[in-house]
Amino acid sequence: MDFKNFSLAISQTKVARFADDLAAGKIMSTVCRKCGKRYYPPRADCSECMSSDMDWKELKGEGTLVTFTKVYVAPGHFAVRQPMMPFSSVAFEPTPIGILEVEGGMRVMGWIPKVDLKKIHVGMKMRASPQILPDGRITIVLEPTQ
Amino acid sequence: MKKVAIIGIGQGKFGVRSDASLRELAFEAVRACLEDSGVASKEVESMVTGIAGDEFALALQPSAQVHDYIGFHPRPNFRVEAACATGSMALRTGWMNVASGLADLVLVVGVEKMTEVPTSIATEIMGKGGDATWEYPFGTTFPGYYALIANAHMAEFGTTEEQLAMVAVKNHYYGSLNPYAHMQKPITLDKALSSFTVAHPLKLFDCSLITDGAAAVLLASEERAKALSKKPVWIAGLGLATDTMRIGDRKSLTSIASSREAAKTAYRMAGVGPSNINVATVHDCFTIAEIVAYEDLGFCEKGEGGKLIQQKETYVGGKIPVNVDGGLKSKGHPIGATGVSMAIEITKQLRGEAGERQVKNAEIGLTHNVGGTGQVVAVHIFRRE
Repeated sequence: MDFKNFSLAISQTKVARFADDLAAGKIMSTVCRKCGKRYYPPRADCSECMSSDMDWKELKGEGTLVTFTKVYVAPGHFAVRQPMMPFSSVAFEPTPIGILEVEGGMRVMGWIPKVDLKKIHVGMKMRASPQILPDGRITIVLEPTQ
Repeated sequence: MKKVAIIGIGQGKFGVRSDASLRELAFEAVRACLEDSGVASKEVESMVTGIAGDEFALALQPSAQVHDYIGFHPRPNFRVEAACATGSMALRTGWMNVASGLADLVLVVGVEKMTEVPTSIATEIMGKGGDATWEYPFGTTFPGYYALIANAHMAEFGTTEEQLAMVAVKNHYYGSLNPYAHMQKPITLDKALSSFTVAHPLKLFDCSLITDGAAAVLLASEERAKALSKKPVWIAGLGLATDTMRIGDRKSLTSIASSREAAKTAYRMAGVGPSNINVATVHDCFTIAEIVAYEDLGFCEKGEGGKLIQQKETYVGGKIPVNVDGGLKSKGHPIGATGVSMAIEITKQLRGEAGERQVKNAEIGLTHNVGGTGQVVAVHIFRRE
């Protein structure tokens, strides 16, 4: 799978298999074989010891919500264009996003499609998992575990 | 290291400047700066140009447009980029030029033309000021990043939406007194609180503006400053620090670690502390950013930023007047120009030329300029003598 299906922008990276793993249902991190430092998002190179000898390791998705928001004024890729039909309008309801702290203190960003904004709060227990969207793009969602 | 002073300041009107291009905006600021200093353009030895985005400029080397348009060739021009801290990075680079002895008179120009592209594209360009690969795919925008900080700050310290709105009310009030400001109308607390949500919990009036504008300062070595200027303002301390690309990788989401680090360096170099600062311009790209800056710069304890604005301590006459030029919030935030414009306000304050907005007997001032969400932060301290 093209990494661009996740990143929207770039295809070429040493960690492009991240997108294939997402498609296979796994969120992957990398671990430095030399010093043991673990990275999410995955990196091909360790900034701790400057090694490039890395292992891939699946990330457990359970964690605690560190913070969240819901972006109403969306950027280019996500902005809804005015409909062509005269006099018509579309009410655009965006999806909240959040940052989940998972094992090892690593932080995973994801969409929160199934919880009303009013019910989202810092400290919520959630799980991060991959999701393939109808248009073939692939992303990560956060869902409550309680 | 040579001592370095600001001996000239100039800026054009900030706003939606559909009448002017990037280079024309820069020209306005440069002419005003040279007029203020009384130095002829031909005497200036080199220049530094801060422009943050080729995407906004729609050109590959926009700084060449600027140096050409002001007739600066064949002298050196050096372009710098540090997202929203570009202007302060340009000032720091200009300072390095003079302090090193490479040149005695250096022009520093910050400029951004942001409204040539549609708003959704401007929002996308700014959103990619976060991690374009790992964050932007989740629809993040600049308000979005600071909204993540705001919700974390509210959850940890009980900071309220009203306190955020109070920052907007203050900055719009001072913007109404600044003829260069983009927005020049005071607003009420109700108006701020009832505006539409841009990124929960940040509303329209919690956000700075997409603005066109330019600002320029002329830097001089000690000998030249004393010969050319009656009121030189000295650059006494500089701090520059960096943090992780991804906001999620920060240990704290309620503080910007690079702000704290840059402030520490600048305070140490200037030999002063937060209580010595008489007036400050801080990076209020969003109201929450000003509250976090109060805390990171040591103007109050961590978590007390909301209270500081609630008690009006950051108005003129308060404990520490902040952004009494209107800030990014009301003066506008042409990203390459902002840091230079901050230095201009502090220079005016230390010269005693800020009019209705003047902080009495201001001797020491501070600027705080955040690039992105804190990937790079520059803090500068200025003294009258």
